[in-house]
Amino acid sequence: MTMRRRVHRILWAVLAAGAVLVASAPAASAHGEASQEAFLRMRTVSWIDTTFSATTVKQGETFTISGTAKILDAWPTNLAKGNPNTGYIGLIAPGPVVLLKERTINGVSAPSRIDVQKGKIYEYSMTVAGRRPGKWHVHPAFSVKGAGTLLGPGEWITVEENPDGFDNPVTLVSGGTINLENYQLPFTWIWLVLTFLIGLAWMIYWTVPKRTVTNLAVTSQIPLNTDGMDYGLITKKDHRNMNWFALGTALLLVAGWIYQSAAFPDKMPQQIFQFAPPDPAIASAPVFATVGLGEAEYDSATQTLTVQAQVTNTGDTPMNLTQFTTTTLKFATGTTPGPGVMTVSPSPTIAPGAPAQVTLTMKDPAWETERLVPIGESSLLITGVLVFEAGGEKNYTELQANLTPRFE
Amino acid sequence: MAVDSKTLELRALKDKQYRWIDRKWDAVFWITAAFVVGAAADITKQLFAGDWDFWTDWKDRQWWPIITPFAIIIIGSALQYIQWLAWRFPTGMTYTATAMFLCTLIGRWLQWGAFVYYPMNFVWPATMVAAAIFADWVLLKTKSFVLTSLIGSILFSVTWWISNYIPMAAFLQPAQWMDRVVTVSDIQGIEYVRSQTPEYLRIIEHGSLRTFLGETQYVSLVFGATVAVAGYWVGQFIGRGLAIWPIGRFMKKW
Repeated sequence: MTMRRRVHRILWAVLAAGAVLVASAPAASAHGEASQEAFLRMRTVSWIDTTFSATTVKQGETFTISGTAKILDAWPTNLAKGNPNTGYIGLIAPGPVVLLKERTINGVSAPSRIDVQKGKIYEYSMTVAGRRPGKWHVHPAFSVKGAGTLLGPGEWITVEENPDGFDNPVTLVSGGTINLENYQLPFTWIWLVLTFLIGLAWMIYWTVPKRTVTNLAVTSQIPLNTDGMDYGLITKKDHRNMNWFALGTALLLVAGWIYQSAAFPDKMPQQIFQFAPPDPAIASAPVFATVGLGEAEYDSATQTLTVQAQVTNTGDTPMNLTQFTTTTLKFATGTTPGPGVMTVSPSPTIAPGAPAQVTLTMKDPAWETERLVPIGESSLLITGVLVFEAGGEKNYTELQANLTPRFE
Repeated sequence: MAVDSKTLELRALKDKQYRWIDRKWDAVFWITAAFVVGAAADITKQLFAGDWDFWTDWKDRQWWPIITPFAIIIIGSALQYIQWLAWRFPTGMTYTATAMFLCTLIGRWLQWGAFVYYPMNFVWPATMVAAAIFADWVLLKTKSFVLTSLIGSILFSVTWWISNYIPMAAFLQPAQWMDRVVTVSDIQGIEYVRSQTPEYLRIIEHGSLRTFLGETQYVSLVFGATVAVAGYWVGQFIGRGLAIWPIGRFMKKW
């Protein structure tokens, strides 16, 4: 085989391998949440009762994502210097396939960032509209300045094409309604292309009728601060024509300025809102549940996490342990072990008075698929929120447990 | 008026016909270099002022006029030096502006529009062409890089802002949204989801007690023009120190 044929074969092989690699790559459908260290995800924000009001909408139709997020007291000292103070509850989606139309936090409208604090509870509701037809994975997310974005439980949302078309209306203070999808787009393009064409004309003036590369023979022999008029490099006519160019450009800017002043007389700078949302009702609920530091054990053979903790009911009536939630996982109290179920022994009902030792068992492959068992990480800790209910009130009580992995 | 022999010699040299260096060389040079220059200018802009150029809700009256002129004048200044030195063309800044506009436009439409569906009225790129024409015009008139850096950079900054404020004006209109009055661009920034870019990362005017009688815009323009003068000399350093000087050394050696 000749060298030439060998090189050709190698090139074709590389090309084919590249094509196979690209063609066989699956579409990315997750948002990297499993790549963050488990103990950090579990110790930062807990998501409670996340609900999506619909999973299929037409373009322009809305659905609601609501739930509760708690910034844990166990917030690690190495994120946001241990003191989270600015946050943003938003959406994670593959680009603007959905639109965020409304957001309330603890009952008040919250267009942008908010003040946050360790231990505080944020009841959020986001009204989201379908925009781009397709099936999209959408998460609520809590971004905290100095830490990053912490994802809540996600859901697949199908956005169907709206046969009536789709627009995104916004009402101006001046009274008109605009479609945000394409508002001012024609003018923006015309303006940008117009300025580009002036630049192109300037370039054509200098480079097409004049020789360029060979001018170096002359310019290399004359001082820098001369236009070479004596040698015909730049002529008086060039000066005159460039004056016209500059004047024309200035006139265009003047015309544009007059247009914007007349068309949009009311303008204002971009707005920054940052405020502390009011505390939700649950924050002032009586505290009737306390939990001591627990001991956790993870059995990789059965994918089961067992936590032993001392729980005290400081109230007057029996309380029920109804849920354990940590980052994107939720375990509701039940009797049959399995995904999303937590069995509590001796009983999920805890009488008032003396501390009770309870064992929580959660058997779920999600511990590993979501990479939430911090084996191999620098902190063997399981953290989350236990939800207790008594007399119509709820307590969100943090649970921390030292983890002992079983390696067999 | 009598013309000396050196002048006559240079005039003849200017019109000399070369057997192997014809107009095709010119075309090849200008067209191929356009992509390199456009990419270099766009990368420089993105390094310093990426988000301000990407989103309307970042195009504010404080930081946008300070950061962007500095970022975009650098490569234009380097090209201005090279093209004036080599061919006596006052075209370096305009060449950079048109090349960068083309590259940016393709990137913005393909990457932000076609691939991730952002509406183009949210992610349109700023134009520097009008500003570049004035900077090149000042060089043509003054024939001095010092004067161009002082007058041209200031003119560049001001005309850049005017030429971009005109398309931006519509997005600064107040609108009623989420129980508040905000600008149209604020709404774009919140409604069109930017994953992993929470709103608090937006670097725009927050106000300060040092704001000069509330005239943030004009203070920023003056400061931006001053910073652009520095950016102009960064570009001159690149043109002189990193382009022409090494080429000169190589040619002498060769």
